Amino acid sequence: MTELGRIIDLLARGEEFCLATVISSAAPEAPAGGKAIVFRDGSLEGTLGSESLDKALPAEALRALADKEQRAAELPGGVRVFLELPAHDAKLLICGAGHIAVPLARFARAAGFSVTVLDDRAEFASPARFPSCEVIARDFAPALREMPLGPAVYAVVITRGHEHDADCLAEILRKKTAYAGVIGSRRRGLVVLEALEKKGLPAARLKDIFTPIGLPIGAESPEEIALAIIAELVCVRRKGAAAARALRAVPEAGK
Amino acid sequence: MTPYEIFLKLAALNAAGIPAALATVTGTSGSTPRGAGAKMIVCADGTIYGSVGGGCGENRARSAALRSLLATRAPELLEISLDDDIGTKGGDVCGGKMWIFVEPFPPGGGSRG
Repeated sequence: MTELGRIIDLLARGEEFCLATVISSAAPEAPAGGKAIVFRDGSLEGTLGSESLDKALPAEALRALADKEQRAAELPGGVRVFLELPAHDAKLLICGAGHIAVPLARFARAAGFSVTVLDDRAEFASPARFPSCEVIARDFAPALREMPLGPAVYAVVITRGHEHDADCLAEILRKKTAYAGVIGSRRRGLVVLEALEKKGLPAARLKDIFTPIGLPIGAESPEEIALAIIAELVCVRRKGAAAARALRAVPEAGK
Repeated sequence: MTPYEIFLKLAALNAAGIPAALATVTGTSGSTPRGAGAKMIVCADGTIYGSVGGGCGENRARSAALRSLLATRAPELLEISLDDDIGTKGGDVCGGKMWIFVEPFPPGGGSRG
């Protein structure tokens, strides 16, 4: 398998790793372009070209993984490597393929998210409505139970009713996601949270849910709501959930 | 495009026998349009996929990518200062510095076997 094939294979399996590439080198045995992979346990795959470099690399790579920061690093012998964390890829999961889902999927694709759309109604969950997205037409709960959710997943729950919303969130909150938000007025949000509490989900986890979903920009049309949601996702992705919550807390002027 | 999609595209191009160069932002200082890890594919005909930030910086990366594909067949590390972009005369360009690593895929550019 080529290096490229191996990288794709690892990403497709959701593995977390650091890809090191020599970007400048004073060492003839380690020319620029050379690559090696370091896993979370510190194990190394491939070689940068010399034993001393391969020995020095894992510690730097693990630091980059711990900091979640892609950066260049200096190795002994005048060798500079770029430490890349390609698994840190944002995936948007949209539960509910209605009016908002269409612009939401489109904006998300443009903003660099890979997108999965799930709905139990095949006429809504149709690939024609969601170009370059993964589209799944199945009942929510079983589909979500089998889905590999994780820290790179942003879950947006916008089904046609709060019962389905609660079903989806109950599955999503079982795993750690980068974001979980649910559509609806403050009231509908509270109804969903109550339903989840009755299902036995811990209150601490319920606090992680963003509801009403999206930044408060006065959105009304499906496109505007999608834009408010995407803005919130970008903020969580780039600055963290706390920063996104701070934006929601801005007092509404003129009210 | 996400990094995963960039890698997939690169593999698909290579499988179709089309050599391509990959440009990756490896570091920045000051204010720049894209952070480390941003990627762009450049094909020998000049077609690009993805972005390393647009503007003159991206144009320089594209030229370097074509050079690595068609002439040197070797990787290259670019240091790009966005202060001296023509766009800054209008006062509207980010104004930082970025380093972009450009490498041909398959390594060696694919034309030497």
